Amino acid sequence: MLRKTLIHDTFYLNLGPQHPSTHGVLRLLLRLEGERVVECQPVIGYSHRGHEHMAQNRSWLQFLPNTSRMDYLSALLYNHAYCLAVERACGITVPPRAEYIRVICAELNRIASHLLWFGAYLLDLGAFTPFLYAFDDREDILAILGEVTGSRLTYCYCRFGGVARDLNQAFLDGVRAFIPKLRRRLKDYHTLVSKNVIFLNRTKGIGVMSPEQARDYAVTGPNLRASGVNYDVRKAEPYSVYPELDFEVPLGEHGDCYDRYYVRLLEMEQSLRIVEQALERLPSGPIRAAGVEQEPAPPPGAYHFAYESARGQLGIYLVSDGGRIPVRMKWRVPSFSNLSVLPELLAGTLVADTIAILGSLDLVIPEIDR
Amino acid sequence: MRPGQVKELLASALGVEPRETDYAACGCHLRLELAGAQVVDLAGAQVVDLARLMKVEGFFLEFITAVDFDTHLELVYSFTRHQEPLRLQAAVQVERGGFAPSLAGVFAAADWQEREVYDMFGIVFAGHPNLKRLLLPEDADFHPLLRDFTPRPEHGGDVVNLEMG
Repeated sequence: MLRKTLIHDTFYLNLGPQHPSTHGVLRLLLRLEGERVVECQPVIGYSHRGHEHMAQNRSWLQFLPNTSRMDYLSALLYNHAYCLAVERACGITVPPRAEYIRVICAELNRIASHLLWFGAYLLDLGAFTPFLYAFDDREDILAILGEVTGSRLTYCYCRFGGVARDLNQAFLDGVRAFIPKLRRRLKDYHTLVSKNVIFLNRTKGIGVMSPEQARDYAVTGPNLRASGVNYDVRKAEPYSVYPELDFEVPLGEHGDCYDRYYVRLLEMEQSLRIVEQALERLPSGPIRAAGVEQEPAPPPGAYHFAYESARGQLGIYLVSDGGRIPVRMKWRVPSFSNLSVLPELLAGTLVADTIAILGSLDLVIPEIDR
Repeated sequence: MRPGQVKELLASALGVEPRETDYAACGCHLRLELAGAQVVDLAGAQVVDLARLMKVEGFFLEFITAVDFDTHLELVYSFTRHQEPLRLQAAVQVERGGFAPSLAGVFAAADWQEREVYDMFGIVFAGHPNLKRLLLPEDADFHPLLRDFTPRPEHGGDVVNLEMG
């Protein structure tokens, strides 16, 4: 009798909030029928720190360090986005050298973020070795960025009108050595992982997201591009010096876990291209705009800025009354939408695939919770 | 698609006239303000019609948020397209603690976005399938992004006063 009930009834499995494969504090309430997921309910908010509330409590400048604490894996990209948003609203023009430096650092940060995802994702799937290689590569980037930013993770390197300090020789040498090294490594990754039959079996055709689904849930970034939709904010709404640089937007076809993996690997190659070109063209000149107020404040009005972070479209919606303190600052974070599609992807899959699908979305929970 | 086309489309389908804004300065092409008087009955439905139209025209719902202007709240809907830079933001005035129609039936993305707005501002979305707290604890009885909200120790964590010079 008891056995019969166990087999036929659905039951709940609580995954997280401290499960190693949820990468941060995400809780998934899964309703299972045997090994099949019937329903998934993500529970978030465990690391809600109230960044948007903090924004209404301090000046535009004072909020700057907060930006690197939302998505701690691509802190520089957030830092960059916030500075661009405020600069556009205030009408500040950034010297070209500063903008090139920002792009070089931001793309290195994007690679570091993708590398961490790559290592952690394969670890989730039970492959230990790639993790060690990925962290070795990532360590190089952290050391290079540490040279100019002074930090390893929560960078606060951009300033309104420029960057905090100029690139030094150690940074330039580091990047020049790193580019060929990662190119060799990416080849290794393709041989080690991309053609690995165990990996293929675990990711091909799993967690398929259609382009319509992605649009419905406002999914962006590599997750969207894996479904074949050509949308990269760097191309769609060009900002900074990206229009001057030559790079491609890798696209997937099937929208499954494998394509999401593959798109990110190709993106690292493109980011290397961007860094290479930007270094080559790096103009001379000042790194801070002259005559920028210490605490600039946008004129009254509403402003929106879209940015391509490592995980998708980052949107900053600013409302100013012209005063020192923002009226409202909304952060449209990509992982928020990317997680909201998960219940749909998980319905009907096996529990073992839950980890493969969840990992393939590259979620950073503190970014969602803000 | 160009901003002018969307403008014509909205005028013919919904009878509303969005204002063209300077994209280079504010990051938005079209802004649609729905006045306060319409909110209770008309504009509510207008937002849903707008969302339906946006969906058919290939837009996606970037975000929904609200701004507290002390006298009233302003709900902001942001739509954009994958194909070209084209952003339409619609603003609807809502009373504090007031209602707005849910878009969850039109865009799946609206489900969580509206839950967050409810969480932070206390706007109730009529017709939402699961309007619960999203980021705050499920037993929270406050809406922290309202401007008259003051953090108290019982809200959790340490209360730090930032002295603003």
